[in-house]
Amino acid sequence: MSQMERRAFMKGAAGGALAFTVGGIEVLLTPAAARAQGVPLRTLTAAQAATLEALGETLVPGARQAGIAHFVDQQISIPADEALLEARILNVRPPYANFYRAALAAVDRASQALNSGRNFAQLGEAEQRSLVDSMRQNKIDGWQGPGGPFVYLLLRSDAVDVVYGTMDGYAGLGIPYMPHIAPTKRW
Amino acid sequence: MANEKVDVVIVGAGASGSTYAAALAKAGKKVVVLEQGPDWQLSDLISSDFWGRRVKPAGAPFLLEGKNPVSYGYQGGWGVGGAALHYFANFPRLLPNDFRIKSEHNRAHDWPISYQDVAPYYDKVARDVGVSGDAKAEEIWRPAGDPYPMPPMKTFRNGQIWLKGFESVGIRMVPAAVGMNSTEYKGRPACIYDGWCHVGCPIGALANPLVTYLADARKAGAEVRPWSSVTRVLTNAQGTKVTGVEYYDQKKERQVQEASVVVLAAWAAQNPRLLLNSSTDKHPRGLANTNGLVGKYMMTHFSSGTLAIFDENVENHMGTTGAQYMSYERYGKTAHKGAFGSSFIVAGTALKTSDLGGFANARLDLFGPELAAFMKRAARGFSRIGAFGEEMPNIENRIELASDKDEFGMPLGRIIHSYDDDVPKLWEANFAEGLAIAKAAGAKEMWSGRGNIPTIHLMGGTIMGTGAENSVVNSYGQTHEISNLYMAGPGIFATSGASNPTYTIFALSLRGAEQLATKWSTIAG
Repeated sequence: MSQMERRAFMKGAAGGALAFTVGGIEVLLTPAAARAQGVPLRTLTAAQAATLEALGETLVPGARQAGIAHFVDQQISIPADEALLEARILNVRPPYANFYRAALAAVDRASQALNSGRNFAQLGEAEQRSLVDSMRQNKIDGWQGPGGPFVYLLLRSDAVDVVYGTMDGYAGLGIPYMPHIAPTKRW
Repeated sequence: MANEKVDVVIVGAGASGSTYAAALAKAGKKVVVLEQGPDWQLSDLISSDFWGRRVKPAGAPFLLEGKNPVSYGYQGGWGVGGAALHYFANFPRLLPNDFRIKSEHNRAHDWPISYQDVAPYYDKVARDVGVSGDAKAEEIWRPAGDPYPMPPMKTFRNGQIWLKGFESVGIRMVPAAVGMNSTEYKGRPACIYDGWCHVGCPIGALANPLVTYLADARKAGAEVRPWSSVTRVLTNAQGTKVTGVEYYDQKKERQVQEASVVVLAAWAAQNPRLLLNSSTDKHPRGLANTNGLVGKYMMTHFSSGTLAIFDENVENHMGTTGAQYMSYERYGKTAHKGAFGSSFIVAGTALKTSDLGGFANARLDLFGPELAAFMKRAARGFSRIGAFGEEMPNIENRIELASDKDEFGMPLGRIIHSYDDDVPKLWEANFAEGLAIAKAAGAKEMWSGRGNIPTIHLMGGTIMGTGAENSVVNSYGQTHEISNLYMAGPGIFATSGASNPTYTIFALSLRGAEQLATKWSTIAG
């Protein structure tokens, strides 16, 4: 195997292309492209996606545009065995959609209780940061759902994935990506 | 559905199962290896943190309980190759003091064997799979043995930069022993230091089972059946011998594989789960469990990570996920005043951005613009060192069957795990020393990687000992109660030591397999 072959960049995997359904046809898109093209969500509701985008953007700037909602939606819509989510290695019990629904509901419940009935996506930036900081430290009275620090860890990881875990993310930080292998198949 | 009877059925195609399969197939035995997950190929090992999660378990059938629940997801294996498909391939060994803690400190257990019983197998494994390192340098801490077949790996600035700090506190660092190729070895290429070891090495420079023992096993005629989920070990009517296993295939259809010998190599937690689920009227508490010790003495390692940012480009993307340097300088059980247990120290690791070990997680308290600013600083100057700590075996740390069941009707397992008072003391001692090292190394920013005390490398559950009064298996992994039933993997460790376990897993598995082959007619007859 030549050095060039070993270092060949892969456009599918490390680029973050996933299988999305557009017009009944399965196509490979990055989550960012899926968002930009308005690919319909399969599992999350529009309200859940709005909360997830706002939360992702608060955690890691750029997560909204990088398609965190489409990434998570696609991932919780496929069999758990195929999922690429950090939830997999943080010992979350499948189906992963259950965790995300519960986590996003907990965030909105806390937001409503602390901010006159407004959901997280409706808050100003400072309010969103304040809530996330309290959630991170498990300091929200009456929190209901998966533990606040764990929700913070897992959603932050998803946001890091879509912003920094891709080849574009590495390029943005000036880090050589250096993959061993070009993908030979979609998996 | 029954399959043709074979000599040996091995449950699990990871490090230990592959080693047994190779040794026994080469000894002329008809071997079938059952693996619950996919039949991964090297070409599946894509260099990406989130794609790399595909080779890890998705919701393993265990409930995690206790004050320090065991975290298996990052380290666990799923599919052919097991966890050794994506391990870091650090190859430190246990030291002589690990084998006699009871004799020397009146704590824990002695092993029924000594370091000298295992040492020849460390050397054999090194030749079989390829190890790079400097054995002579290690001999300041251990008895002499064979040289490693390859010279040490390259080092990089992200490792070198720490050496001055270690020297300042009197810690000698030597080239890390790793299961990787510093040069071409047995037709496998040399490492190219891209730092993607933790998601699997697709060029075979890292000694994963697909390119070492499992390849040998297949070449010698062993059959590997992926998507085969074993649910029970079967016995004869008298309960004196095992006769095979029950499993479910990819179509979810029940199968039986009869065999003269059964080797459970399914992971430290899964082996007890299988034994407990295989109860019969002759073995009402589960197989090999008359003494009630199956599932007991689960152990993990914990690490004290010291993290730092240096005022230079340390090229932290370069190298391997394993270590460049290692040290046993704090391996004495009482090396840290006021704490008990060994510590094993490593330095120099390639880092990626995301995933559990990525540098985004180096400052979990940061989010938003502060995280973005940190990522830019860390991309240039971040590095870390680590000290693994040893947990003493505690009978309360255990596996039990739960009332919930999996898709095949098999009860889930409960892994109940809590650290005792020794652990935080050792954890803190290593943090304190780590910060002193970072300061002396000239770090610009330095901090301890705190949070919950981590649980790394699950071991125990079917520990070895001198007899049924204190253990489940003998030093070969053969159960005391049923002579043709073997346990393989880290579950048979009597104590955990502090060094990464896989080298010892290979060595003990090779030792057990050779004993089985040598005494075949007595054991299988």
